[in-house]
Amino acid sequence: MIRFFSKRDAELGHLESGVMDILWERGACNVHQVMPLLARPLAYTTVMTTLDRLFKKGLLDRRKEERAFVYSPRFSRLEWEKKRTGNFVAGFLTGPESSGELLISCLVDAVGSHDEALLDELERRIRERRKELCRRRKK
Amino acid sequence: MTIPYSLRLVCLCLAAFFLVHAAVAAVVRLVAPAALRIAGRMRPRLAARFLLALRLAPAALAAFAVAGLCAPSYLWLEPAATSEEVGLVCLLAALFGAALTMESLVRALRAVARSGRYWRECRRTAVKTRIGRAPVWIVPRSAPFFVLAGIWRSRLVVSQAVVDALPEEQLAAAVRHEQAHRESRDNLKRLLVLLAPGMLPGVRGLSALERAWARRAEWAADDRAVAGDSRASLTLAEALVRVARLGAAPPLTPLTTSLMADGHDLAERVERLLHPAANPGRDLPLPVMGTAAALCGTALVALLQPSVLYSVHGLLERLTH
Repeated sequence: MIRFFSKRDAELGHLESGVMDILWERGACNVHQVMPLLARPLAYTTVMTTLDRLFKKGLLDRRKEERAFVYSPRFSRLEWEKKRTGNFVAGFLTGPESSGELLISCLVDAVGSHDEALLDELERRIRERRKELCRRRKK
Repeated sequence: MTIPYSLRLVCLCLAAFFLVHAAVAAVVRLVAPAALRIAGRMRPRLAARFLLALRLAPAALAAFAVAGLCAPSYLWLEPAATSEEVGLVCLLAALFGAALTMESLVRALRAVARSGRYWRECRRTAVKTRIGRAPVWIVPRSAPFFVLAGIWRSRLVVSQAVVDALPEEQLAAAVRHEQAHRESRDNLKRLLVLLAPGMLPGVRGLSALERAWARRAEWAADDRAVAGDSRASLTLAEALVRVARLGAAPPLTPLTTSLMADGHDLAERVERLLHPAANPGRDLPLPVMGTAAALCGTALVALLQPSVLYSVHGLLERLTH
């Protein structure tokens, strides 16, 4: 069944993020394969519940192999980051008008200040080069 | 499916075009990373030519295979006025060939139409004047742009914002840059790139080569505009930075070259202009070019032998059935 991301689904807890990192790194895994790769030892049921929660959030696919579920990521890390950023931006834009404007103005400022800094630097280098050429000519 | 003589010729030509094009495009795609590295060591002008030739190679070779081999061998060796059964593979290949050529034709025609519309819109408000000895059309707009528009009779179109912002010397440098594009017929080359089909219908596949060519063409125009003069280099670099300060340029039509190009490699262009001799790149040695030309000529003569046409006809028969 196709599930759509809600804003809540896009938020991952610390353990969920750790499990997703493992699955993105290793590919398809069952609970037993995930457990030793976690940063701290956790109970089988905790890891199983976490994987089940990620499956219900639509982040994982699963298939049954023998008697255990094997989980695999539905999205690459990049696709997930894109969705998360999209949700974040959409949250601002669908909020009160002022928050959308605030976001856009922050983005424009960030891009603009980067460009201005680059152009300042380029102008400084042109000035220096011109001075250098003048000095050479005088010699 | 039984198809009459002339329709079978069309079908075979389209199928052959698609198959040859797909094969050559796949090879070009494979060698593209190495070609980009080689182009990086060449002079921009030569690199631009090399990358353009590589981008156009699939279409050119496929067109040669059709016009130079398939059509003559069919017309010469196929019994006239006969209907024959044509296989599904041939029909599918012909269908893909038709889709491929139609797609690129529509893309090119739309670009030509947009380019014409753009020029007509500019002309409505533009005032013709001269910067140095070059005729220039000044459009009373606040958006910063300095472009060469048109394919056959290309014209320099500049916004009033740019004219107001640049001193005379920098304007002249910018004009020289655009004139270098005009002399290289870069807008016509853009049209050829648009006319060259992608790898498959709906799949461009060779965009990396197109982007690299556009970048080298910009660098080549910079080099030609400054002609090795370090003062002219600095003036053009200043003009680029000053136009960049005016803000983002409006979106361009596909058959237009702009002083700022897409603006992504501004820092690199300025760096090249500041240190023009730091990495001049290499030209292909004359013996290499001579050998390549001789090999191409020999291959062409060998391909046009009657025995080759017999073999091609055999292949066409296999493709048909």
